[in-house]
Amino acid sequence: MIRIPAKVLIVDDEKDFVEMFSLRLSEGGEKVFTAHSGQECLEKLKQENIDVVVLDIKMPGMDGVETLKEIKKRYPIVEVILLTGHGAIETAVEGMKQGAYDYLLKPADAGEMAIKLEGARKRKDAQEERIRKAEQKSLLRRGGNL
Amino acid sequence: MENIRLLLVDDEPDFRAPLKKRLARRGFIVLEAGDGDECQAVMNDAPVDVVVLDVKMPGMNGIEVLEWIKENHQKTEVIMLTGHASTVDGVEGIKKGAFDYLTKPLEFPHLVQKIEQAVEKRRREDEKKQEVAFKEKMEQQMISTERLASLGTLSTGIAHEIDNPLAIIKESAEYMRLLLSKADHADMPRKSDFENAVGKIETAIERAKRITHQLLGFVRKPETFFAETDLKVLVAETVEFAAKGAEIKGIQIVQDMEGANGILWSDPYKIRQVLFNLLTNAIHAVESDGTITVSLKGTDARVMLIVEDTGCGIPKENLEKIFEPFFTTKPPGKGTGLGLYVTCGIVERLGGEIDITSQVGKGSRFQVTLPRSRKACGDMGDNKELCVDILNKIKGDPAK
Repeated sequence: MIRIPAKVLIVDDEKDFVEMFSLRLSEGGEKVFTAHSGQECLEKLKQENIDVVVLDIKMPGMDGVETLKEIKKRYPIVEVILLTGHGAIETAVEGMKQGAYDYLLKPADAGEMAIKLEGARKRKDAQEERIRKAEQKSLLRRGGNL
Repeated sequence: MENIRLLLVDDEPDFRAPLKKRLARRGFIVLEAGDGDECQAVMNDAPVDVVVLDVKMPGMNGIEVLEWIKENHQKTEVIMLTGHASTVDGVEGIKKGAFDYLTKPLEFPHLVQKIEQAVEKRRREDEKKQEVAFKEKMEQQMISTERLASLGTLSTGIAHEIDNPLAIIKESAEYMRLLLSKADHADMPRKSDFENAVGKIETAIERAKRITHQLLGFVRKPETFFAETDLKVLVAETVEFAAKGAEIKGIQIVQDMEGANGILWSDPYKIRQVLFNLLTNAIHAVESDGTITVSLKGTDARVMLIVEDTGCGIPKENLEKIFEPFFTTKPPGKGTGLGLYVTCGIVERLGGEIDITSQVGKGSRFQVTLPRSRKACGDMGDNKELCVDILNKIKGDPAK
């Protein structure tokens, strides 16, 4: 079976981290985009049809939680995985209440990251599938009414 | 006025005897001395609170006796008795430290009043001394608490800053690991050397991560969960858990849990962590064939959990430092130096305290005192008002 690569957007102000992380994910077969601020993240989301955003909570300017709220407002079905320092689990919990899929402690484990990415992507696929079906139904019904 | 010890010093027995009777009726404990030498003997035997001292005596006169008393028994108050015509002696007595003087013939109510005033003065001075000592102790404690707190703030700040570059190192190492596993690198020259080096980086990352996470995980308040906890059950479970490590070294862990009721309202998970840390430390400290004893003591309000070992002990110079973060005597990579720091923080959060006594070569004794209920947290005992007052003074002092 051919695996369709997930479109992942990595958002972190640590450029070296973004670079190495994206290299590794690309090598693993994902389609990776990067951004170094909340603002840039929102622009990338406008241009690309992203599946999962991996979002650092602590960023200068627009921080992770603000960015998350904006993402969920504009693109509610895009999944977000939060990256957090160990001390900021409360913020991660808050983020998940705002609609984030899950969180990971920095420095995150490659294995765990892979599992969560997969999970996030599946949830988005499933959601899109349901939307498609619902749309079909509504189209059919409208057709019947004519 | 209870248990006030009075000493009458006068060379006339006929004067002393009736006075003694009347004073004893008022509830004083009255002692007698016929001259300066006797007075010294009585006072050296056991201290007295107030001396009623005649100025005119054969041998040592009253002023000499007064000088001796003030030199050797500073806390004792002296009331001088002078002849009607010689108030000069009384004034001189006051200059030399007497509380006051009375002229003969005595009016009994005056004497009683003077004695009571002298006792009152002594009581106030004792209180003041206690307060000073208490204040000093509190200040000492505040200094060490503040020191620990600032060390904590500093180290968590560092831990945060380290986590970020650590994440980059980890990503890079994982990327290299991934590349090495790819088919197009199968025939790479010296591939195993690279793999070995990447492995070393990965191990070191894990080690650094353990330190930063332990530090951050403790300082940010992980939620405490209070429930009825039975220390006896908890100790039995934890000891069983720690016993494997002890068995390998041939150490025996003894539970002596019948000393008190083990039920308290606290956070069982946190207590378990504390106990486990203390047991682990004890196991590290004890050579083979040693013993670790876990025992229980308690009152209605508090429970004392004691972990004693027959290990190497802690040298005096280390005792003050063992609760500081990163203080360790273990070789690099073996101990993080955070165990007791975290333990101490947890116990404080549960409203308790840790006391240590240790003797090098004999062993150490860690006593964790916990309140039985949450109400007792922050209980300062009888001195509560004084404590609060002094704390406020210390905090409000701009010189500090």
